[in-house]
Amino acid sequence: MPPSTEQSRPAGTAVNGTAVPSVELSHITKRFGSVLACDDVCLSVNPGEIHGLLGQNGAGKSTLMKILTGLVTPDHGEIHMAGSRVSVNDPLAAAGLGIAMVHQHFSLVGRMKVWENVTLGERGRVDRDQARRLVKEVGERYGLVVDPDAHVENLSTGERQRVELIKCLRRDPGLLILDEPTSVLTLAESRELFSVLRRATTDEHKTVILISHKLDEILHATDRVTIMRGGAVVARRDTAGTDVRELAREMVGRELSKWTAASAVGAMDALIVGEQTAAEGEVLLRLTDVHATARDGRPLLRGLSLQVRAGEILGIAGVEGNGQAALGDLLSSLLDVDSGTVEVCGSAVNAGKPGAMHRAGVGVVPEDRHGSGCVLDMSVAENLVLADLGEVASGMFVSPRKLRERAARLIDEFDISVPSPDTPMRLLSGGNQQKVVLARELAARPKVLVVAQPTRGLDVGAIEYMTERIYRAAQDGIAVLLISTELEEILTLAHRVAVIHRGAVVGEMKRADVDLERLGMMMGGQIA
Amino acid sequence: MTLTRPPATTPAPAPLVRLRSRLTAPLLYVVSFAVALGLATALVTLAGHSMGDALLALYQGSLEGGASIGQTIDETTPLLIVAIGAIVCARAGIFNIGQEGQLIIGAMAGAAIGLFVPGPGWLVGFLALLGATLAGAVWAGIPAVLHYWRGVDVVISTMLMIFVAMQVVSFAVNRDYLLQETAVKGQILSPQSNLLPEGVRLPRLGEYPDFNLGTGFFIALAITGVVAYLLRYSRWGFRLRMLGMNPVAARRAGVSAAALGGGALLLSGGAAGLAGGVMLTGSVYRIQAGFADNVGWEGLLVALVARNHPLVAIPVALFFGMLRAGGGFLASTGVPRYLVSVVTALLVLAAVFPAAYAELRKRRRPAAVEA
Amino acid sequence: MDSIELILASAVRLAIPLAFAALGEWIAERAGTLNISLEGMMLGGAFTAVAGAHMTGSPSAGLAFGVAAGLLVAVVHATFSHRLSVNTYVVGLTLNVLVLGLTSFLIMRTESRQVDKLTIPLLSDIPVVGPALFDQRWPAYLLIGLVPAAFWLVHRSRWGLEARAAGENPGSADVSGIDVNKRRRQALMICGVLAGFGGAYLAVAEVGTFNQNMTAGRGYMVIAAVIFGGWLLRGTLAGVLVFGAADAMRLALPALGYELNPQFLIASPYLLALIAMTFFAKSHRGPAALGQPFVRGIT
Repeated sequence: MPPSTEQSRPAGTAVNGTAVPSVELSHITKRFGSVLACDDVCLSVNPGEIHGLLGQNGAGKSTLMKILTGLVTPDHGEIHMAGSRVSVNDPLAAAGLGIAMVHQHFSLVGRMKVWENVTLGERGRVDRDQARRLVKEVGERYGLVVDPDAHVENLSTGERQRVELIKCLRRDPGLLILDEPTSVLTLAESRELFSVLRRATTDEHKTVILISHKLDEILHATDRVTIMRGGAVVARRDTAGTDVRELAREMVGRELSKWTAASAVGAMDALIVGEQTAAEGEVLLRLTDVHATARDGRPLLRGLSLQVRAGEILGIAGVEGNGQAALGDLLSSLLDVDSGTVEVCGSAVNAGKPGAMHRAGVGVVPEDRHGSGCVLDMSVAENLVLADLGEVASGMFVSPRKLRERAARLIDEFDISVPSPDTPMRLLSGGNQQKVVLARELAARPKVLVVAQPTRGLDVGAIEYMTERIYRAAQDGIAVLLISTELEEILTLAHRVAVIHRGAVVGEMKRADVDLERLGMMMGGQIA
Repeated sequence: MTLTRPPATTPAPAPLVRLRSRLTAPLLYVVSFAVALGLATALVTLAGHSMGDALLALYQGSLEGGASIGQTIDETTPLLIVAIGAIVCARAGIFNIGQEGQLIIGAMAGAAIGLFVPGPGWLVGFLALLGATLAGAVWAGIPAVLHYWRGVDVVISTMLMIFVAMQVVSFAVNRDYLLQETAVKGQILSPQSNLLPEGVRLPRLGEYPDFNLGTGFFIALAITGVVAYLLRYSRWGFRLRMLGMNPVAARRAGVSAAALGGGALLLSGGAAGLAGGVMLTGSVYRIQAGFADNVGWEGLLVALVARNHPLVAIPVALFFGMLRAGGGFLASTGVPRYLVSVVTALLVLAAVFPAAYAELRKRRRPAAVEA
Repeated sequence: MDSIELILASAVRLAIPLAFAALGEWIAERAGTLNISLEGMMLGGAFTAVAGAHMTGSPSAGLAFGVAAGLLVAVVHATFSHRLSVNTYVVGLTLNVLVLGLTSFLIMRTESRQVDKLTIPLLSDIPVVGPALFDQRWPAYLLIGLVPAAFWLVHRSRWGLEARAAGENPGSADVSGIDVNKRRRQALMICGVLAGFGGAYLAVAEVGTFNQNMTAGRGYMVIAAVIFGGWLLRGTLAGVLVFGAADAMRLALPALGYELNPQFLIASPYLLALIAMTFFAKSHRGPAALGQPFVRGIT
């Protein structure tokens, strides 16, 4: 589909004086059902700049970029590139216009080779030798080394991101969009990525849009920044002329409370540390030298040991993909150990047996609430039960009356906003879904509570709520294990911090003794 | 398939849109069933027959007079039992398509028990049904074991097992030391078993040519009722739904997929086996290679058309049963009875089309108009 | 010696119609459709080929009719399962019932002349393998071109790359700008063409007439062959040959005075496929998204 050229540009959207923006989105509106994902959004990006798109999860950044890459069709609005109007109806049209995107969830096919993945989505004849050569060439030009003949499923996350980047860069795009690219990278890898981006903009005059919710990243890597909140653009700034506090305020939309300041925003100097004293309760959760492997034989945990005491919050810090998911799965009976032991309240638990952890008194608020925290097609009332059927059953049968009573009690207690207990879980907002999961887990009176990425994708109110609930759970004497890739979240809540790297805890320190430089190095695996 | 949308500047009045969409759903059903019947009519007419005659014959064979109604109910019975099993399985998120094989293996086991186990007729009859159920469950159990032990895909393995089952039965009815009929003087042996003794057969209510029906139908209804109730209200039903809708969350909550899901697969096989047993002791009375006669496949289709609701399966099974019963009567009009298969298939497609089409419209992405 | 030559010739002869369909099924499965309606495609192809040959008086024209029938079944299947996202097994199953009913309903007592044999002189006199390889009906030799063509299409062409991506990871393929459902529909249509040809070959080249339900489960046997072959082309073809040999032995052994249980031989393809899946689970990995409908937006 050839881009229709129409030389008129709507007046009043040009931002930066003389330069014609390399891409300009004007008055974009997109509605999903009752949710207004993008509300009359205007965004203008100049050639040769790294433009930050800042906003919390759910602010509409991703939808906006999906519109620009043709994955989503807007209800209203126009897209101009280099001054002429274009229509981007599908990803192929976007590629034709020189728009390429590195997705948050990779767009690679695991059982294909690197070069095959790189050439996926191209047109014309498949030329293996040329594709391989290109992988090497592009790799060398940007410092992204990867074997073109390796199968993607055998690569590490960092390497996969390199493939993803090569896949985008080989098309020589004028506009490169990166969606939260650093969430799976170590500090060093992130720096490397930003230098690649800088090279692409200064040397080759490409335009980059960097989507992020991390303030320091935006400050560090971008030239200008557009801030979105609730589906609308709330501010535009030159990065040089702004600071963390201003960005944070615009992003969150109000003065920050104690909790959100640190956990939602992601800026080190916005941190407010509570007076956290490590409780000296008894050890409720103890993992000793745990080894575990995935179904396909990949090692997930390699000799992980940790212990959590009653009333204590232990934060597990680390770069994503270093065994956090496996640790969460292990404590939800989704994964069995090869060797080592898991003890809850002093007695060993058979980890791989379905429901064993729950019975032993481990409550889990999992990382992916859609994937395993709840059943989207069941009602809220049913989701508040799941494992604890005994409480609402008489004999073999589930009592609808008891089910509703329990639901009503929990909805009230945990302040879940839902029209009725019979509402399907699917229709709830992310925050309320998370509340349902938390309510269910806490209602089972756990000895140990595992919370993994508890605030990911939530709005500010819900983040504040979750943070406070987790804090209260510890105060009530529950041993809390907080697994998070957001360092700030951990530093806000945890009494002790343990660093996970390549499936093992490589270091541990009291909150008061945390040295950020050292912590960062540990997370990157530089200090054992 | 171009979607005409009003220009963005003039939004259509909302109530009108809502009214239109409320009307389109039933309308779509009417249209797609009309198209299906139209195609069938065209087929019959082109083949030089009269659709009126064919419909009359279908009516006579399925609904006119007590005997026909009884025939319809007899045809409905195994379809319903098979469908209920398929529904249990589908609720657990497992797709068993091997009912045709499980059914015939069940019938074979029933025949073996009915023919060779000594004892009072009612007891042997009961044992035959029990044996049929167990045999069907075992036949579904093999894919279950392969799945939870080696990760073999259930759809593929249950399908492959159908053809193995056919040959097992064929083997048995071709061996005089197994199930093949005993020779009466001078008779050429056919690959089929002896007829079951009278006492072993399921009792029938009423006498031909008046209204009469096999008591198997009550078994089917009872199973349907019990399963519907259990799925709706029991802890088992709750956990089964949880497993079907989100296996990971279910495991977290203490559901063992192998036990509950494997159990559902066994139940579904058992139901198919029982259906075979009921056919055997209720109406057919002997086993042969062609015994299953697509009942397993069609029972599965009943479950699919009923969208996995046990109570909805009753009218759907009755409808399919009517077609099957009517099919026997078609021959008298010169229309081959295979018309019934054609009509059945067209109706299934007509039944799944509207919902799918509405879903497509809802997604309403212009991608449907690609280049 | 003579009997081996005979069995081998008959094995190859029986495997040829399966091989055409197997190429198609292999392509469809690599793109993510476990195409159960293969049986219907073959049966429809067989029937239409005989009807077409009868009408035109040319068995070769009959083959074209068969292809058209296979394609028609494929179009219906593709529309339902990769446009409307109806469960592919439901559609496949229903189509099989439909085609079986339709062909049985329309059955005509017509004879068709067989297409001609293409016997390659000299080579066909080679002992043991000669008759098997060089004394077949002429359309059989199309396989010589079709097999490498299919391999090239799936493993070397742009289209194949995209189709494999659609079968392995439709989400990623979609994000990369590939129309997943379109590729799947196309793969299914290629399958329809080849399966229709296979059925037509069976009817006008092998048998020369149409009998009710004449494919008798050959479609399912081909599906078993693809599974047996571990979703590889060479494995699939090997499966087809092995199954053809089993069939040949069933027919030939009694005549040669051997006792081998026919039921076991008929069941053997399915048993072999089951065994292959059970014991070679590592190497026998089907496309990851096999049988799963793709709907954009559901990740």
